[in-house]
Amino acid sequence: MRIILAGFGTVGQALAQVLHQDADRIVKAYGFRPQVTTIVDSQGSCSDDAGLDISLALKTKKDYGTVAKYPRKGRRNSDSAHIISNSEAEVVVETTPTNFKDAEPGLSNIKTALANGKHVVTTNKGPLALAMPALLELANHRKRQLRFSGTVGGGTPFLDFAAKCMPGERIIRVRGILNGTTNYILTRMETASLTFERALAEAQKKGYAEKDPTNDVEGLDTAAKIVIIANWVLKKRYSLRNLDITGITKVTQQKLKQAKTSNAKVKLIGRIEESSASIAPEQVPTADPICVPDTLNALTFTTEHAGDITLIGPGAGGERTASAIVRDLVSIRQEYAA
Amino acid sequence: MKFGGTSLANAPRMKNAARIILRYSPKNKIVVVASAVGETTDQLIQIAELAKKGNLQQARKLLSKIQASHLKIARMVAGRGETRELVSRLDQLNSELEQTVEGIAHLRELTSRSRDYLLSFGERLSTPILAATMSAMGLRSRALTGAEAGITTDDNFGEAKPLTEISYHQVHQRLDPLWGRRIIPVVTGFIAATVDGSITTLGRGGSDYTATLLAAALGADEIWIWTDVDGLMTADPRIVKNAIPLPYISFGEALELSYFGAKMMHPRALQPAGQKKIPVRIKNSSRPARSGTLVSASESSNGGKVVKAVSIIRDVGIVTVSGSGMMGAPGVAAKVFQTLGSNNVNVMMISQGSSEATISSVVANREVDRAVRALQLALMGQGYVDRIVAEKDACIIAVVGSGMKGTPGVAARIFTAVAKRKLNVRMVAQGSSEYNVSFVVSHKDGPEAVRAIHEEFNLGR
Repeated sequence: MRIILAGFGTVGQALAQVLHQDADRIVKAYGFRPQVTTIVDSQGSCSDDAGLDISLALKTKKDYGTVAKYPRKGRRNSDSAHIISNSEAEVVVETTPTNFKDAEPGLSNIKTALANGKHVVTTNKGPLALAMPALLELANHRKRQLRFSGTVGGGTPFLDFAAKCMPGERIIRVRGILNGTTNYILTRMETASLTFERALAEAQKKGYAEKDPTNDVEGLDTAAKIVIIANWVLKKRYSLRNLDITGITKVTQQKLKQAKTSNAKVKLIGRIEESSASIAPEQVPTADPICVPDTLNALTFTTEHAGDITLIGPGAGGERTASAIVRDLVSIRQEYAA
Repeated sequence: MKFGGTSLANAPRMKNAARIILRYSPKNKIVVVASAVGETTDQLIQIAELAKKGNLQQARKLLSKIQASHLKIARMVAGRGETRELVSRLDQLNSELEQTVEGIAHLRELTSRSRDYLLSFGERLSTPILAATMSAMGLRSRALTGAEAGITTDDNFGEAKPLTEISYHQVHQRLDPLWGRRIIPVVTGFIAATVDGSITTLGRGGSDYTATLLAAALGADEIWIWTDVDGLMTADPRIVKNAIPLPYISFGEALELSYFGAKMMHPRALQPAGQKKIPVRIKNSSRPARSGTLVSASESSNGGKVVKAVSIIRDVGIVTVSGSGMMGAPGVAAKVFQTLGSNNVNVMMISQGSSEATISSVVANREVDRAVRALQLALMGQGYVDRIVAEKDACIIAVVGSGMKGTPGVAARIFTAVAKRKLNVRMVAQGSSEYNVSFVVSHKDGPEAVRAIHEEFNLGR
């Protein structure tokens, strides 16, 4: 299996590392050797049909900030869509940074890959949030797989749980906490009586929040995950445009105290109901299983017959997301070997 | 707004279309969909056939006719400053068209892919002319092909199926920015492209389909189909003198009517509108003040009338398979329809005696002989089918109206009215939607049957 890695940030590097370390185990257990033949980052690319030397690629990235400096096989060319359409690799792993305005370059990368008959694994939520029904249709039309386990819950298999473990059951409603950053901020605001700004600064210092925290604190990241769950699990054709989104920037100490008097906490909750979906800060009773602290994620599926089922787990992190990508690569391999 | 070929057939009509757009543009966001000018598509089909036979001379003759008529319109409609640009764009398209025809003639081969490419020139020539007409009146506009507007299909050339989700997504991406700059997109009807960018045509449903797809993508409030009639009529006015336009019908009724040959949108074209519940208004471009027919999701009454319209399909025949051995023999019906299907015979109506001794199918006259031969080959001599007979020159009469659902006695009224005029009914079927009762009479009895029903249900007023 030849792989193009589009995006070589935290997740991309973690994946390269995992594939490098686990190559022998994967061959033994699943009968295929995932081989990275091309890496594209924002400043350049490197390519070797015989498979790139992963340690060398990681070192080059660390030393120069781009794989363009990869010895002999590095280029200044970072036009990922062009590189994808001219490559013979079977799979594109798309890990470029998420943006919710036009979802580029991820959206073009995924479209080009599917149009050229390549399978896609993505951890980038932007393209799915804006165009998930279209991308699934394209994959289906080209008879290729589009996988995205890493987009929701990182290593915690929220998506696979609902799609694979509950056949025959009808999921009526989904609600929960899908963003670790905001959950950390809200937890700190409550336990240490910090203002929103102070708690955010602390989260940034700890590496939980990005320098530009907009996507997290404005609720967009949660919204994107809700879109993905709605499309994939509940077969509702939502995109970001269809949702009501409120972030946590307006949450005050007063609101937290109000919640406390009724034995509840304020949490950023994403929910999908029968005919609507929304993201907003809500009071959640402390006894509710989704009332989890710190960077944890928690999601409750309300089913018709089996009642409420809640999954709790860590929601992000480079290595955890890389593990989700490997899971996807294995299922691509299994389906097209079958 | 979609303009059909007759609404764009010459310079005055082209200007008329632009005036209509101008009139509605201040208060509405409009996307225009244009068909090919007049009979251009039919001419292109002829050219394709000529070229395939290697008759390049005849093909060129027709080609220059197309070129001349488009240039003539272009010179009359474009604004002073823009004629040159428009003419050079048409010249470029024309030389591309010539090369295509030559290519086909040299190879003597017309694949469905090259046929779609050739047919696309009809709309690709008409849209820049309409766009130029609009800008001569001070409207900002831009001519786009269906592919440029974002419509993507599978690669079933000749009757390509849109990939709706991809198309909806791309249409937003491409047209929203134009609207943002107050530019009216003028999109080629009928043509689209595959994921790789090869030109396809949407086949049956054509330009109307383009209009409903764009409307569904953009969440339009209404779809207006500009044509050369005042809307859908209660019956063919050449048969029934006092036939009148229908003010309202539902999507369900429209589907039945279009299936049964009314001059109406193809069911495929209605689908995106029906799904997203976008009302479709059919209007006459030479009498734009008239309200036309509104096709919508509501099944509102029509002044308490149970029947709304009656239509006729002529030139059909009945093929009957019979045999006492068919009774209780499983799979005979399946064999009949499988045989017809694999011989490309389109079955319009079916009836089976409950004794199972006969199965009758209505097919087009020109397909009757083929159907009989195929059925004989497949079914005779195996013990259960004794006879396969055909009657040609019949017609289907379809009576349509949602009010028929749950109203007792409608069928009785229909057949009494027909019987009173001594017309012989050969075959009967009722759609399970209960929107429609259809039956078959002989060719010469057809018009009289239509008049009988029109009168019985008082459709003329």
